[in-house]
Amino acid sequence: MRRTPVNNNAGKVWVFGDYRNYFQNRVTLQLIAKGKELAETIGTELSVVLLGESPNQYAMEYVAHGADIIIMGESRDLKEYHVETFTEVVSAWVRSYKPDIFIAGATSFGREFFPRLAKRLKTGLSADCVCLDIDPDTGLLIQTTPAWGGELLAEVVTPFSRPQMATVHPGIFKERCHDKSRIGRIIYPDIGHIPQPRERVLRSKRYQTRDIDLENARVVVAGGRGICSKENLDHLFELAGLLEGEVGVTRPVVLAGWADEERLLGQTGKSVKPKLFISCGTSGALQFTTGIRGSETLIAINRDPNAPIFKIADLGLVGDATVLLPFILEKLKKRL
Amino acid sequence: MNIVVFIKQVPDVPAIKIDHQRMTIIREGVDSIINPLDYVALLCAKELKQREGGHMTVVTMGPPQSEEALRESLAAGADRAILLTDSYFAGADTLATSHVLASAVRRMEQFPDLILCGMQTVDSDTGHVGPQIAEELDLPQVCGVTEILSEGEHLLVKRLGDGFLDTVKVSIPALLTINSGFQETEHLSLGEVDKAFSEKQIVCWSRQDLGLSRDDVGFKGSATQVWRLQKPPASKKAEIITGSPQILTDAFVKKLEELSLVDEEDTGE
Repeated sequence: MRRTPVNNNAGKVWVFGDYRNYFQNRVTLQLIAKGKELAETIGTELSVVLLGESPNQYAMEYVAHGADIIIMGESRDLKEYHVETFTEVVSAWVRSYKPDIFIAGATSFGREFFPRLAKRLKTGLSADCVCLDIDPDTGLLIQTTPAWGGELLAEVVTPFSRPQMATVHPGIFKERCHDKSRIGRIIYPDIGHIPQPRERVLRSKRYQTRDIDLENARVVVAGGRGICSKENLDHLFELAGLLEGEVGVTRPVVLAGWADEERLLGQTGKSVKPKLFISCGTSGALQFTTGIRGSETLIAINRDPNAPIFKIADLGLVGDATVLLPFILEKLKKRL
Repeated sequence: MNIVVFIKQVPDVPAIKIDHQRMTIIREGVDSIINPLDYVALLCAKELKQREGGHMTVVTMGPPQSEEALRESLAAGADRAILLTDSYFAGADTLATSHVLASAVRRMEQFPDLILCGMQTVDSDTGHVGPQIAEELDLPQVCGVTEILSEGEHLLVKRLGDGFLDTVKVSIPALLTINSGFQETEHLSLGEVDKAFSEKQIVCWSRQDLGLSRDDVGFKGSATQVWRLQKPPASKKAEIITGSPQILTDAFVKKLEELSLVDEEDTGE
């Protein structure tokens, strides 16, 4: 067995290598780019923690995208993602190598694994960050995260405990170009005893109902609480149909049971980058707008002329979307 | 089945206004509600209790006025409500919060079979507290549960995450965080509401009742600190149109024309 003594330098900035859904989920690559930048700022190397049965292919990718070191756990027992198992293995490595910063993508797994890991390590964790910087005076990691429904941004720091941990919203940072010539090194710390997980996935299927492809839609029509009813949502579907687009919604609409979770946009839902985004009755809370920033043009319809959505819109129409949409549909049907 | 549900009273976030001068929240006139996903967890516990029999305790940490949320939970079917309140609990991050909540479970005369919480809250939206309670109590966790299929020695649950719908088998005792898949809506009977406000008692536990040190709770027990609050950057200057539906419709269609999403109107009549 290949072992590396624990005093081996393993870098002080760590990224969790989350490779599930690899081709859709580029967040690990985005974090490697950001992590590398942070590591350069504080004069250290960037490490990616990679667990799996045979995760070598990802190790190569991560190095090509900017990782200096891969901290690898290779075992049949690590084939599946288990929060408890991963916490056991990774917490021991953190205690041995003492990284300053440890970040993960705010994927479903990241959001379930990192809180447990932070608790075991008795350190701080911030959720779903949209910005990470090193404070020049204190050297602390400034973790910027939306607060109060996104009305404000909170700058969070972890002054005393280490590592400083954060999950990061997917799609915020840009990944670096794939550079085959980059060289990294792999270390294989002791995995230790892996406990039997108390939860087990019996069946797993890709969750896809119908063909909703919000991420790649050319036009997205989005509804918020201001559309008032499930029936009014039909207007949005009709508009999306006319413009060959898709319908997305905000969290209150999902909670009201008017639309399925798979149409959810924003921080905990999907991020979109359409040519045209039409917002109907959404207030424009940052939790929502983080998912729509990639839109080329944004038209917002809202009754409240002071709604925050107008601050990021290209065209703002002050009016009730439920009243206005039938007029728009009537006119468009004549024109298309 | 002995179930504990953790809830949080939150401001009705969409109604919140910000004082941009002082960078604080204007709370006056904003209703407090049970965090929506916690309410879903509550209804889920109630359904389990009806199916399996058992006992349901609802717990919250917060200022004394959080009692309202507990009364509402009692009206919705909880058998017992516990309020964890102490001035030292204020300013807690998720690490300190989960410590208080886990301590409350340890103080109960009977360790629960199942602990439920909402997957996240609408005010801080971290989703950390559930997994952190599970860690402190050494329980298995399943986050983002949309359905509980069967009970017994094990639970079979459905969980939605990272593009997969998983069927997960988990041993009990366990902690589950509940996603919005459960789409129950429930209207409370006035009789129940009345009873919850007049008959049922709410138990209060302070820091000392839980035997916790001042250094481990609230602001002092927190590993993170909020350094600064700032306004999100305004990125664009919108062209804002007001007027009749016809005027707004014309502006809308003109924009679509600019983007070549509809053809220019034929003006040569």
